[in-house]
Amino acid sequence: MASPTILDSAKHRQTRIITSRGAEFGENVHFVPVIADELHRLVLEYPVCLIKDNDTGRFGLSALLGFEPGENLYLEGRTWDATYLPLHVRRQPFMIGVAGETGTTPTAENTVITIDVDSPRVSESDGERLFTDDGSRTPYLEDMSRLLSTLVPGIQTTEAYIDALADRDLIAPFQLSVSFAGGEQQKFEGLYTAHDEKLRELTGEALEALHGKGFLQAGFLMLASIGNLQKLIDKRNARRATAA
Amino acid sequence: MASPVKSVVIVGGGTAGWITAGTLAAKFAAESASAVSVTLVESPNVPIIGVGEGTWPTMRRTLRKMGIRETDFIRECHASFKQGAKFAKWATGEEDDFYYHPLVLPQGFQDTNLVPHWMEDSHGKSFSAAVCPQEYLCERGLAPKQITTAEYAAVANYAYHLNAGTFSEFVKNHCVGALGVRHMLDDVTGVNAADNGDIASIATRAHGDLDGDLFVDCTGFRSLLLGQHFGVPFLSRKDVLFADTALAVQVPYAEEDSAITSHTVATAQDAGWIWDIGLSSRRGVGHVYSSAHTTEARAEQQLWDYLRATVADVDGLSLRKIEIKPGHREKFWEKNCVAVGLSAGFLEPLEASAILLVEISASMIAEQFPVTREAMDIIARRFNRTFRYRWDRIIDFLKLHYVLSKRTDTEFWIDNREPGSIPDSLTELLTLWEHQYPWHDDFDRAVEVFPAASYQYVLYGMGFETRPSHFGVSEAGRKLAQKHFAKNEQQAKEMLATLPTNRELLSKIHEYGLQRV
Repeated sequence: MASPTILDSAKHRQTRIITSRGAEFGENVHFVPVIADELHRLVLEYPVCLIKDNDTGRFGLSALLGFEPGENLYLEGRTWDATYLPLHVRRQPFMIGVAGETGTTPTAENTVITIDVDSPRVSESDGERLFTDDGSRTPYLEDMSRLLSTLVPGIQTTEAYIDALADRDLIAPFQLSVSFAGGEQQKFEGLYTAHDEKLRELTGEALEALHGKGFLQAGFLMLASIGNLQKLIDKRNARRATAA
Repeated sequence: MASPVKSVVIVGGGTAGWITAGTLAAKFAAESASAVSVTLVESPNVPIIGVGEGTWPTMRRTLRKMGIRETDFIRECHASFKQGAKFAKWATGEEDDFYYHPLVLPQGFQDTNLVPHWMEDSHGKSFSAAVCPQEYLCERGLAPKQITTAEYAAVANYAYHLNAGTFSEFVKNHCVGALGVRHMLDDVTGVNAADNGDIASIATRAHGDLDGDLFVDCTGFRSLLLGQHFGVPFLSRKDVLFADTALAVQVPYAEEDSAITSHTVATAQDAGWIWDIGLSSRRGVGHVYSSAHTTEARAEQQLWDYLRATVADVDGLSLRKIEIKPGHREKFWEKNCVAVGLSAGFLEPLEASAILLVEISASMIAEQFPVTREAMDIIARRFNRTFRYRWDRIIDFLKLHYVLSKRTDTEFWIDNREPGSIPDSLTELLTLWEHQYPWHDDFDRAVEVFPAASYQYVLYGMGFETRPSHFGVSEAGRKLAQKHFAKNEQQAKEMLATLPTNRELLSKIHEYGLQRV
């Protein structure tokens, strides 16, 4: 269970963070949340689609990493084989906490960095230090802080992006039917993307509104990213071939 | 010269008026270049009866076609999911006597009749539990879908329970706001006839005469246009269906998170039955009875007794009495006037036929909308034939529930099996089914109100016996049936493991909404 604690230069003076990749850090997941601002980078590596949250039914933007729970086809031992890593992967074990009631908009003033002290990344002996002996932030923590300050407003923009698509009925399910090497056929449900045709046919106010916020481009990037499914299929075939 | 039909005037603004307005306006908006105008005149002084709080699965299509979001409907009309009906104490009247009429069809229903196989070996299961998973879901209070299921899509087929009062208001707002229906609050003071006997216009108190090419009578029991103006006679069917009075009461839930039953419960009494409908905000409960077989005081007493089992304090509740005249007009479309809703007729709410009839009437008017006055008489004759058939089938089906009862404890139940009270059409079918199992060809219309499946659920739920025939069942047929029974078990198991309770899902819909896809 994640237990976020507010980062404190006194309390966490000696704390170190292990920055290597690996299944032991919970990275063996088959999808990971991403933000719309990352799409132009993600489109080079990952299929990105909309997936419903099982608890709320709300859409979230996610990069697909595998075809079933526990399968991250980009992860090879301690290597994440991609030129770009989603921010949500890189931010671990940190997050931003917002002071105030639930739903308060995060600003520079009301936010604090939190750390999940139960994360296997947290160590006293290995990895990057967060604070120097005199209590000032290390360059590593400064980097992490910048990353988080991109991520947090990005999460809100992503929600606005999804709402904009949903409100205009621009989301469509796509049936994924994959043939793996050896003839194994699998169908996947629960994946959604932008409605290609409707997106192309947008006019007037709707077109301007979406374009003005960069959501039109995000929609097309999301559609284009689906081509990366072939990468996933190839990776899985290769992995199966090695295992056999 | 042909006279085009360009304007529809709907008189009356209850459930019937607004569903008809919305269905017509949505159809015109979607398919026609020059729209037919739809005007609804509603008296500010006539209260809405708001009859019927149970629907059929058809309501999902009706709402979707109007362009209504299911999330908005569920939130604003206090709607809940309905997965059919549970009939308690109808067959024997014993405490453990119940059966389900679910909305999911039996497994393999297109090509396999499972009845003979279930009769041969029921494996100790009720018919409905053996052939479809829904009884399991209902018994556990589970919802027919998940929060991740799209609007109007189902894991198990479903209909709704809704608040009829807020429903009219909700559909009205959509009709006026999104579909361009003209809404006029005014009293109708008269009907002006044209030379050919059509209605030329209706006179209103504040807006003068209102012309129209087609008039829809949604004036409720008053039947202002079809009954009063045209004098189309009312055919009483009380000789078949005895119930003529209802006592209705609104019951709050004990706790904010009390379970919401995901089916209608119909519990038989001495001289009628009690409905129990769970909305998201409250329950609607009522006793429908035959005043010839019991007194109002006794009917009321039985209703309180029923409620005491689940309600701590019944003294704070107030009853509303509703007269039911079972029957319908001799025809429903006369000249340029068609009646939809109570103005066409009414039956006891045993199978939630009131709103259904409104939907399928509105749908047929929209689908076959007469382009010209010249085409109208042909459409009218067709409409009258179709709806007379539908009313007859509904009456047969309601009567079936009474005819199959083995109860002998009161005259009401005994009288219900009096051959003279049973329509010939039903007697014939029952005779047939003593020898062979109900199947698709017993009902030969393209659109039947009750499919053969409904008859199977009621017949074999109530212990009807069809004699085994000398044909027997083949080994291949038996194997196929076993496969369907096993598949049903499997489906039920998966659904039980993944579906939330009805209350949980409704709370989530109120909080997060459902997605359109």
